[in-house]
Parts: sequence; structure tokens; C-alpha cells
Amino acid sequence: MFNLSEEEIERYSRHIILPEVGGRGQQKLKESSVLVIGAGGLGSPALLYLTAAGIGRIGVIEDDVVDLTNLQRQVLHATPDIGKAKARSAGETLQQINPHVEIDIYQHRLTKENIFDIIAPYDVIVDGVDNFPTRYLLNDACVMKKKTLVEGGILRFMGLIMSIRGGESACYRCVFEEPPPPGTVPSCAEAGVLGAVAGVVGTLQATEVLKILAGIGKPLYNRLLQFDAEELRFHEVKAKRNPGCPVCGKKPTITELVEYDYACETQAPKT
Amino acid sequence: MPNNDSINGPRLLEREDGLPPASPGLRLIVQGGERIYSGPPDVRSLLEARGENPAYVNVRLNGEVLNRRDFEKITLREGDKVDFLYFMGGGVV
Ligand SMILES: [Zn+2]
Repeated sequence: MFNLSEEEIERYSRHIILPEVGGRGQQKLKESSVLVIGAGGLGSPALLYLTAAGIGRIGVIEDDVVDLTNLQRQVLHATPDIGKAKARSAGETLQQINPHVEIDIYQHRLTKENIFDIIAPYDVIVDGVDNFPTRYLLNDACVMKKKTLVEGGILRFMGLIMSIRGGESACYRCVFEEPPPPGTVPSCAEAGVLGAVAGVVGTLQATEVLKILAGIGKPLYNRLLQFDAEELRFHEVKAKRNPGCPVCGKKPTITELVEYDYACETQAPKT
Repeated sequence: MPNNDSINGPRLLEREDGLPPASPGLRLIVQGGERIYSGPPDVRSLLEARGENPAYVNVRLNGEVLNRRDFEKITLREGDKVDFLYFMGGGVV
């Protein structure tokens, strides 16, 4: 049985005062667990807000090291963290923001061998990955294990958000069946990204997680929201389960996890 | 996401080569906005007219996500609803 201490009630008072959240909603957040894949451009804002919001347990999986080029958007890390493992740097920052939150650190890559074990204990998964192979691996694993996944992607001045209820709502492959051929879509390292766009998308992902966990409003299931910072516009596209989807369709062709092999992808810094 | 909105009307009707549009115009709803195009006959031409790289986007036509191999084969019709779905966040080098 979890109980909010007096300190916690004061800390979360601006949440608790919202009728949609209240003490019960805050209690739910404390009883919940969230796994954030990547502590980079999207993971940074998502982790900061989820930690501040008082999620009970937060997992961070990240195998990279803080680099000077990360600091323009990865606001979880600071200049003295350069050279430090991102997972450790993330853990230190988050623990300072909110010592009530239990932080699990996974300092390795997500692979088809370890993904089921890693995602199993968490209620919601946040996608902050920087590459297509892991993005598809994560989608497939969440569909197979009926996990809730909050997708996010950024490139240049654009962002994308979509919430997926594994096996129930449209999945990433229902919309993007296969990854683009290697070399066709540039990475953030090649094409650049406005740092604040990562902030918008990562913060929207955190908002979705909090809504889903506290049962507030309407999650972005079966909807894909695209953000265009240049025009400052959001464009929503309805998505629906694709009966021909290779992982969640009527006759799935992907019944075991696959890891796409993209040459050189490890050289790309995290988005 | 290049945008061809213009309060003065459809900019795409003005062809770069200065020639008059081939047809009076095709009314399409692209990315939620209604615009007249100088009859781009297929999805690929529409992408090019909009300045989109066909390698970067998936296309949803009247609610159905198209097979990327069909971009050139699919002819657009009056009133079609077209949405672009962008691949994002891949660390492809
Ligand atoms: Zn699917």
C-alpha cells in the first residue's frame, strides 16, 4: 500500500488540485512504472517531466556517453557530464529532481534477446530511440507483449507522436510497414534538428504517459500527430489497424523479433 | 514539411517553366488543406510538386496507407484526401 507523505502532497499539490488528477491520480502515478528508451533528445524532456510528476518507478536504458554535440538538445545532461555514461548522468540528474522516484538504470543496448525481459515490469514504454532498427524492434515487442508504447520521432523542424496500445490500436508498422531503405532518410546527425523540437515532442510523450496512467482524457491511440515547427502547425492523421500489418494484422508474418541491420548506424549520435 | 499555402490562391498552378497548367486543376485535400493542383496525375508527382522527397514519406490516400512502390501507379482524383506521414528519428548514416 502506497501512501503520499505530507512532503509529497505539497510537492504534487499543483497536480492534486486538478480535479482530473486529485489525490487518487497522484497515487496512481506513484504506483506506476515507466520505461524510457534512450536518454537523448526525446528521453531528456520526457524523463525530466515524468520524474518531476512522481512516477513511482522509472527505467532508463541507454548505452551511450555524453558528447558535446548532445548538449544542444539533451537537456538532462550538463557540460560537466561530457564523457560520462548517459545512463549514469541521467540517473544523477533525475534523483536530484525527485528523490521519491526509484530509478532503474540499464547501461546497455536494447536487443531482441533482452527486450522482453526489460520491458516486462513496466506499465508504459516511451520511445526515445535514435535509429530505425530499435524503433521497429520496440514496436514489435510491445505489440507481441500487449504493452503500451508512446512513440516519438524528430528530424529537422518536424516531430511525430503516436500512442500505441499493443495489439489493440494501430501500431507503428500499421502506418510505416517497413523501415525506409538504409541511407534514404537522414539521421539528425546528418540533417540536423532544432533542439527545442525535441523538447516539444518529448514533453508531449510525457503528457501522454501521465494521461494514460492517470486515466485522463483521450490518448493518441489510432492517431498520428505530426508537428511542423517551421509553420508552427500540428497535423493529425487518423491511423487504423491495418489488417495487412506484418506484426498486428490478421496474418502476421513477423511472429519472432527481427533486428534490421543498418550499416554504420552505431556511428550516428543519438537524436 | 514544405508548405504551399498561399492566401492568393494555389501557387502550384504556376509552373516553373512558365507554361500554362495542363488541366484546369485538380482539387485535392493535402495535409488537411484544400488546394488546386495543376493536375499532378500520380502520387509521386504530387510529392515532387510539394517538394517532398518520396524516400522520406509514406502517403495515406483517403484513409489507406499506400504501398511505397505504387506512388507512380496511383492516379489522383478530384477531392482525394492525401496525408504525408514522415519517417523520423532514424540514425541512418
Ligand atoms: Zn500493426
